[in-house]
Amino acid sequence: MVSLAMSPVTAPGSASTAWLESVLKAFEPSLPAPGASLGGLPRRRSAARDELRRTGLPPTRQEAWRFTSLAPLIAVPPQVLPVPELLGPKPDHPPASGALRLYWDGDRDPLAGMDLPEGLSRLETGLQDSLLGTVLEVAGTTGSWLVRFNTALAGQVLALRVRGNVAVPLELVSDCGQGSGVRPLRLLLVMEEDASLDLLEVHRAAGTSLTSVLVEAQLAPRARLRYGVLAQGTESSCLLAHLAVSQAPASELDLTTAAGGWGLVRLEPAIIQVQGSAATRLRGLQVSRDRQIADLHSLVRFEGPNGQLDQLQKAVVDDAGRSVFHGAVQVPQAAQRTSASQLSRNLLLSDRARVDAIPQLEIVADDVRCTHGATVTRLQQEELFYLRSRGLGADQAARLLLDGFCDEILASLPKSASRWEPANALLRQALPR
Amino acid sequence: MTSTASVGDLVSQPYRYGFVTDIETEKIAKGLNEDVVRLISAKKHEPLFLLNFRLRAYAQWLQMEEPDWASLGHGPIDYQEMIYYAAPKQQAKKASLDEVDPKLLETFDKLGIPLSEQKRLSNVAVDAVFDSVSIATTYREKLAEHGVIFCSISEAVKDHPDLIERYMGTVVPINDNFFAALNSAVFSDGSFVFIPKGVSCPMELSTYFRINSGDTGQFERTLIVAEEAASVSYLEGCTAPMFDTNQLHAAVVELVALDDANIKYSTVQNWYAGDAKGVGGIYNFVTKRGHCRGARSHISWTQVETGSAITWKYPSCVLQGEDSSGEFYSVALTNNLQQADTGTKMIHVGPGTRSTIISKGISAGRSSNSYRGLVQIGAKAVGARNYSQCDSMLIGDTAAANTFPYLRSQQPDASIEHEASTCRISEDQLFYLQSRGIGLEESVSMMVSGFCRDVFNQLPMEFAAEADKLLALKLEGSVG
Amino acid sequence: MIRPDAPVLLEIRNLHATVGDQPILKGVDLTLRAGEIHAVMGRNGSGKSTLSKLLAGHPAYTVTAGTVRYRGDDLLALAPEERARAGVFLGFQYPVEIPGVSNLEFLRVATNARRLAQGGEELDTFAFEDLVCERLKVVQMDPAFLERSVNEGFSGGEKKRNEILQMALLDPLVAILDETDSGLDIDALRIVSAGVNQLATPDNCILLITHYQRLLDEITPDFVHVMAAGRILRTAGKELALELERRGYDWVDEGLASSDHAEADATALEVA
Repeated sequence: MVSLAMSPVTAPGSASTAWLESVLKAFEPSLPAPGASLGGLPRRRSAARDELRRTGLPPTRQEAWRFTSLAPLIAVPPQVLPVPELLGPKPDHPPASGALRLYWDGDRDPLAGMDLPEGLSRLETGLQDSLLGTVLEVAGTTGSWLVRFNTALAGQVLALRVRGNVAVPLELVSDCGQGSGVRPLRLLLVMEEDASLDLLEVHRAAGTSLTSVLVEAQLAPRARLRYGVLAQGTESSCLLAHLAVSQAPASELDLTTAAGGWGLVRLEPAIIQVQGSAATRLRGLQVSRDRQIADLHSLVRFEGPNGQLDQLQKAVVDDAGRSVFHGAVQVPQAAQRTSASQLSRNLLLSDRARVDAIPQLEIVADDVRCTHGATVTRLQQEELFYLRSRGLGADQAARLLLDGFCDEILASLPKSASRWEPANALLRQALPR
Repeated sequence: MTSTASVGDLVSQPYRYGFVTDIETEKIAKGLNEDVVRLISAKKHEPLFLLNFRLRAYAQWLQMEEPDWASLGHGPIDYQEMIYYAAPKQQAKKASLDEVDPKLLETFDKLGIPLSEQKRLSNVAVDAVFDSVSIATTYREKLAEHGVIFCSISEAVKDHPDLIERYMGTVVPINDNFFAALNSAVFSDGSFVFIPKGVSCPMELSTYFRINSGDTGQFERTLIVAEEAASVSYLEGCTAPMFDTNQLHAAVVELVALDDANIKYSTVQNWYAGDAKGVGGIYNFVTKRGHCRGARSHISWTQVETGSAITWKYPSCVLQGEDSSGEFYSVALTNNLQQADTGTKMIHVGPGTRSTIISKGISAGRSSNSYRGLVQIGAKAVGARNYSQCDSMLIGDTAAANTFPYLRSQQPDASIEHEASTCRISEDQLFYLQSRGIGLEESVSMMVSGFCRDVFNQLPMEFAAEADKLLALKLEGSVG
Repeated sequence: MIRPDAPVLLEIRNLHATVGDQPILKGVDLTLRAGEIHAVMGRNGSGKSTLSKLLAGHPAYTVTAGTVRYRGDDLLALAPEERARAGVFLGFQYPVEIPGVSNLEFLRVATNARRLAQGGEELDTFAFEDLVCERLKVVQMDPAFLERSVNEGFSGGEKKRNEILQMALLDPLVAILDETDSGLDIDALRIVSAGVNQLATPDNCILLITHYQRLLDEITPDFVHVMAAGRILRTAGKELALELERRGYDWVDEGLASSDHAEADATALEVA
């Protein structure tokens, strides 16, 4: 008899509690390094530590975590990820010409010694103090586990202010290399009216590491943010990123995430159009193979009329990989004339792989156009056949189709991503055999 | 806006079936414990296996917690304040309709379900269930000629205990969920249908459920078995009087389809929904599941859900047999403060299995209407296919429409396709219809029934028009 | 056909209307008698489409002054469906699509509502199908369109044929055809026009709202009115349409400029 109950997986045991406790110990707050901006961090940090001790790791019986196993997480050594002596441009990936690259390790100040282009500046400590956490409050995600975890660990915040059009694309690079341990990163981005920025965040890891990212971005009226997250990991590395964005009217957000190779990657874009009337475009691609878990939980909420959302989330899953997409779209009564479309497309390439797609549409306003769709299929056999009938080998044909499937998303990354060869980085291994 | 038509609110149409039949009823004392379970079993002269079934379920139920994941808003249900068995006092066994209390016949007459020989529907056999017992089943002899068994579950327990023992609880295990466990412990009556190998049931079968008592829970149990290459179309209807308290209705329906069998199960649910302020109404917490056990078997659920204060039901199909198929067609309409959380689960186990889901939710007033569904394709379901379409229509800007589809696949050679959309009735469309002489309310109901057409087309012909009317009636007052 | 003794069907006097706060109609006068075909011409934004929708009772427009009498009764007091049942028909410029609602069913309900209002009998489905099949010929429409949803996926020409089919079924006394020629190729225009000509009788009247002369080549009007800035600036016989075609609408602007000076007596521009 097949069990039909949507039954929870057993909650993680004491191993996870011990792991969490060790991580908290390793990140015991100490006196901040000179020069690091402090903001309102210490108070929040100790509250988050208490909260985390109380709740432990997220239980899989919680709806938001039902499909996401945390095993790869607690395999990461509960220590601070050692920081390499020197930072500098990696010879294999020089910055795109004209782009400004900042190296981000959670310890040193990425802005130290950097010439910032016109329009981009460090946010004053006082402002940082008052603004930190406000986007999370607007989004209602302060209690999210990813937020709490990062808040409990992060000892510094990279706080940036954008004024006017920043002509230079910004790259924010965190490379954990072969290192083992946990790296917390926190970004606060304040975009003033009419400001505009291209931002590419790159996360790489090859050791047994956990990168925890917390981003708060605040878009004032008519601000425009093109934001890419390119994340390439390996089987033993984990990435947890919560990306909260508040959008004022007439602002535009174009967020593209592309992640692959991680033992566990979970991205949580949480976008709030605070008075509606803004444009949100979300593009996402996640690739998982072997026993990798890729999870994207998105939330988009319209708190005023005339908002727009265009979301396309794709996944490629091979071997015993798992992919989760949970996409909430909330259209309350105030959000008349919202136009929202969401599409989740999943390619399932192996009979040991698994895809869970959970679109979630909550609507109260009546004068709205909301659609969503989801598909789970393998590569289209007709398309494969067509290519093969033109002389392509089966692998070659599959590769071509897969590239096409992914390129639709990757093409939306900020231009400087091309330096990182995103398609190769993500898809190198994920091919049908 | 001037003279006509913004879609808003107006006076509500009274519920037509809200009367109470004044009839002497035998009730047991309120509350639930093991003795009550034994008493129910004893009253029905049940064999030992069934008593044990009930006791096992009761023991399980004690261990379980009421689910809250559907985040439905209702006050706590006091299971000790409820009566678990109520039956109109009359000769237990009705040899013929002449012996049935005329008041009961009159009740069903008023509900539009005439049972007497002269008036009864010509091509539909009806089992009429009043509170906890079945009071009459029409056309039994004619059906028996074809080998079809159609009777109340209590009678089936007496006359066909082997079939009951073989099938009951095999589709919905007693510990499946809180309400299924409760039902398994205290179920009162319901219908039993058995279609033997190779037989196409010669007429529509129908059960009509009527709650009459104000303090009684209704826990009916229905079991339909279609043997190899058998087929049947079954329809249930439900109404209840208006009380200002909430009554619990926790039914279990199990369908079993063997090789090449075909079961079509339709529901027109119109339990009392409570008043415009949300006082009273039925809590409709129902577990319905079909098991396509045999190759090429087919189970189709069609539901029109318009009543109940709260509806919580997910008629599901376990598609085990190779090339078996499941369908779910649903219209759920909520108005005032009603809450509906309904959908389906399609569990693809066997290769070549197919499923189709068409769900239409209409929310008016301050109601909340959610589609919640699961499509699961297991690792062995090579070539499985699912198509789902979930559309919502909002009437007014205070109603909520939610869609929560869960799609899970473990089989690359399979496909799941899900589409959802939200629409409303536009002023332009209303004006167009009105400018052709069609009144406002009729315009709205035309558009709503157009919206629901894909589902109504699945209903047996006799009931499609009925469902259409019911919807129009329910919407009366939601526009003005 | 002009017959001075023919009964007045529609009488519009000093009609002012707004949409939101925006005044659109600023004093329209128009009299339609049985047997007459009128054409109202004008540029986009002159108010001619407003006039047609207002006559059908569209809720977006508010009448701020003036009267409309239909066979002597106050038309403006009636709900849209009451107007339709009484015999006022609007052929829409952009007929909406109504998914799910069967065209045949829609036509039957509408026709029966009108028949009941006329004191007739409702038609059952069979009798109605006979009627509709006969009326289909008026617009040479494929019966397949009856099986589809109202206007859903119809081409522009098919939608307009469906409008005229409705006119044929509802048997109106006043038929207002709003830009019926727009979106039609020449063949479709001929078919639709032939349908309208066939439906014009000594007992009803037709108000054509159009931008171009080409419709009037097919349906000959008895009167042509030029509308601008929410008023009827000039009225004459069918030769006025030709003049418009020849001279364009620019001279209307001149007329408009002079009328601004004579605001108090806008109606003086009309032919008495």
